Amino acid sequence: MSQNEMERQMDEQLRDAVLQALAADPRTAPLDLRAGVLNGIVHLGGSAPSDDDWAWAEMVSARVPGVRGVVNRIEAPGAPSPARTINLNLASISMKGEQP
Amino acid sequence: MSADALALSESQSTARAQETLVTVPCFANLLVPVQEAVAQVATHRHFDAGQVIYLEGEPATALFILEKGWVKAARMSPEGREQALLFLKPCEVFGDVAIFTDTPYPATVMALEPVEVWAIDKSAILDLVARHQQLAMAVIRHLARRVLYYVGLVEDLSLRSVEARLAHTLLSHIESGGERLVVPRRAWTTFDEMATRLGTVRDVLSRALRTLEEEGLLKVERHQIVILDPAGLAARGDRYD
Repeated sequence: MSQNEMERQMDEQLRDAVLQALAADPRTAPLDLRAGVLNGIVHLGGSAPSDDDWAWAEMVSARVPGVRGVVNRIEAPGAPSPARTINLNLASISMKGEQP
Repeated sequence: MSADALALSESQSTARAQETLVTVPCFANLLVPVQEAVAQVATHRHFDAGQVIYLEGEPATALFILEKGWVKAARMSPEGREQALLFLKPCEVFGDVAIFTDTPYPATVMALEPVEVWAIDKSAILDLVARHQQLAMAVIRHLARRVLYYVGLVEDLSLRSVEARLAHTLLSHIESGGERLVVPRRAWTTFDEMATRLGTVRDVLSRALRTLEEEGLLKVERHQIVILDPAGLAARGDRYD
């Protein structure tokens, strides 16, 4: 298996874990949320009824082991535009597969 | 809704999809039966400004043909920095790379303004490509053009200075505004958006614009950038610093 395929498989597993975490949390379970994962970074989409739920979904995802960062593009009243430019501060976080 | 009304609505939908299809450069020369076959499996979708069409790392389920509005495709670097890959206007196709490589979407695509698109399911387009050689060639042409675009983007980001990238990008978006050559500023064209396209940050972009303005190549106005010296700007864009 090539390194790209291995990384893709790890991202797919991480995506499953994030979707499971969101489905298991009583606050995010009823929401219409989507997730993608690339390079260990989670990308969230869908919609939430409030900016509190918006932030909660991000926190639930960030707590999943292996997640390096979360790009929150969920639509919610009072939340920033999903299409805004987002830069994450990942400088202090190790790459996936590397020991901290 | 009666069955007749539904059938009419479906045929109207197919006709509208076909009208969009013929405006897409790589699909314009398809034989009418092939165009009809593609249009029949296309589903209309609307997105409001700011909405996500798909997320990077999400399983690829469809390719999209843009009928109206602008979209942005952006990818997050492993270091967490957003890089805009493409700003697409009507008559463009997107989502195809992931469909034909059987990988998740490599970038997030967002609507920058109200957008109308035609979505074609992965299984449907793969089936059509297998049955129609002419469509397969059109897809290859489109993917090859996309490769060339990315070769240019790599060259831009790795070899050109921010001023040269800016000059190059402005020239590719130039329009005729009366007697002047202008790059119109769209509602969503913020400094942040321009900076992510040029692989830089807002402050550096601001300095680059000022430099080109001081050199007499352009003039920044509220709703547009006026190109004063296209030849000079082209020379600036071709300079490898």
